[in-house]
Amino acid sequence: MDKMMFLLSEGVKNLWRHKLTAFTAIFSIFLTLSVAGSLMIVGQNTNKIIEYLRGKYKIEVFFNENVSDKQIASVVEEFNKINGVRSTTLISKTDAGKIFKSQFGENILDIVGYNPLPASCVVNVVQYQIEKMNIMPIVERIKSYPEVDEVQYQGRLIYRIETYYQKFVKIMTVLLILILIISVFIISNTVRLTIIAKKELIQALQLIGATRSFVKAPFVIEGVFHGLIGAILASALLIVGLEIGSGITDSVIKLKIQYSPFILVGILSSLSVVISFLGSSRAISKFLK
Amino acid sequence: MIRLDNASYSYTNGSGISNINLTIGDDEFAFIIGPTGSGKTTLLRMVYMDLLPQVGKVVVDEFDSKIIKSRKIPFLRRKIGMVFQDYHLLDDRNLFDNIALSLHVLGWAKDEIVDRVTESLEEVGLDGKDDRYPEELSGGEQQRACIARALVKDPDIILADEPTGNLDPVTSFELIKLLEEVNREGTTIIMASHDYNLIKGRGHRIIEIQDGSVRQS
Repeated sequence: MDKMMFLLSEGVKNLWRHKLTAFTAIFSIFLTLSVAGSLMIVGQNTNKIIEYLRGKYKIEVFFNENVSDKQIASVVEEFNKINGVRSTTLISKTDAGKIFKSQFGENILDIVGYNPLPASCVVNVVQYQIEKMNIMPIVERIKSYPEVDEVQYQGRLIYRIETYYQKFVKIMTVLLILILIISVFIISNTVRLTIIAKKELIQALQLIGATRSFVKAPFVIEGVFHGLIGAILASALLIVGLEIGSGITDSVIKLKIQYSPFILVGILSSLSVVISFLGSSRAISKFLK
Repeated sequence: MIRLDNASYSYTNGSGISNINLTIGDDEFAFIIGPTGSGKTTLLRMVYMDLLPQVGKVVVDEFDSKIIKSRKIPFLRRKIGMVFQDYHLLDDRNLFDNIALSLHVLGWAKDEIVDRVTESLEEVGLDGKDDRYPEELSGGEQQRACIARALVKDPDIILADEPTGNLDPVTSFELIKLLEEVNREGTTIIMASHDYNLIKGRGHRIIEIQDGSVRQS
């Protein structure tokens, strides 16, 4: 327990003892996390947009004239079981007539003497899916039912939206990973400067019989503190920026930026602890080799 | 007990030590004498296994250089106190913290550390100077602080590498007397020096090292 307290206090004292390197490390982490946090917020909001768009994807299915309402109801039940289908809305011939009247103001029976409008069904697809949404298997499956006369969908548009979204997700992921890897190297090199400055301490510790983990611990603890301070500063900057940005987008395009301050702080803190732990461990381990 | 069996170590420039056979018993006080570059420091570094012999072996109590794993070396060093010519005190902490570091490594409790460090400082005549920083001490005081740092963990062996190198003759004699007192209490002392006048006639074993080889007297 006393040993732990000593290592912890050494880690904290080192923050003060190595002011310049602490500032450099904290500033690097702050910049890295601000960029990473911004990317995450952009990603999260893009997700919301794609979910909204997917909510608008519709497959309209028209049934053959000679199919009974009972058969239609049973086929629609089958549609609900297709993988990727979120919900279905059945529009009977009578409903179609009502829709016609609401849209054109006249009764279809009065115009042509009978109801030529087919029974139909609107199939809505799932909104939450990370991978590219391909509605063609759903369309093909629906088309395979003999009761179905025609299927209409915005195939080309959906394909383009999904393709662009997937490219965006890939670029964002690569960018984020790249930033995190770079930050591990930045932190590692910053900690190396501290270590070079503290060469005497490390040698003294080794000479008096300190184990590798005892020598490493204060540097790793110091690194984790750098990470936490950097994360707090980056979170503060992002939250202030997002609040201002959200106010602007809300007044201009009636759209609020979606984010949770608690989740943001949580993710950035954990991320920074992990990267600063990896960075400082890497640096001190390389030195002790 | 310290034993070197046919131990050799050669640096890339060709210097080092070769075929050293030597046994230093428990409680012994031995001087290693030889000119600068003769291999004294290399020999001491082998004892605390900072260097492992390329040929032969070094055995210190239960630690055998032939079979020791690197993670076990810290445990050997906990039995050894080291004193260097250039002190190796840490400038960023006071005397108390410099000396207490060894005990933190051993996992001592805080109050025990306070008592033991105070006791060690008294033993070397530095009581009351625990809050001084190394730069505020004279060379002799810094070297005594090094001895206190070595003594604080109650080691079985003290290795002193040219501890009087930066001291005037009077302070050097006082330092040797201090090491002799420590030796009388049962600690093995090996002290390397190039100054024969300082060590002659003290009744201790003198191991002469020349060009990396040992000549005992």
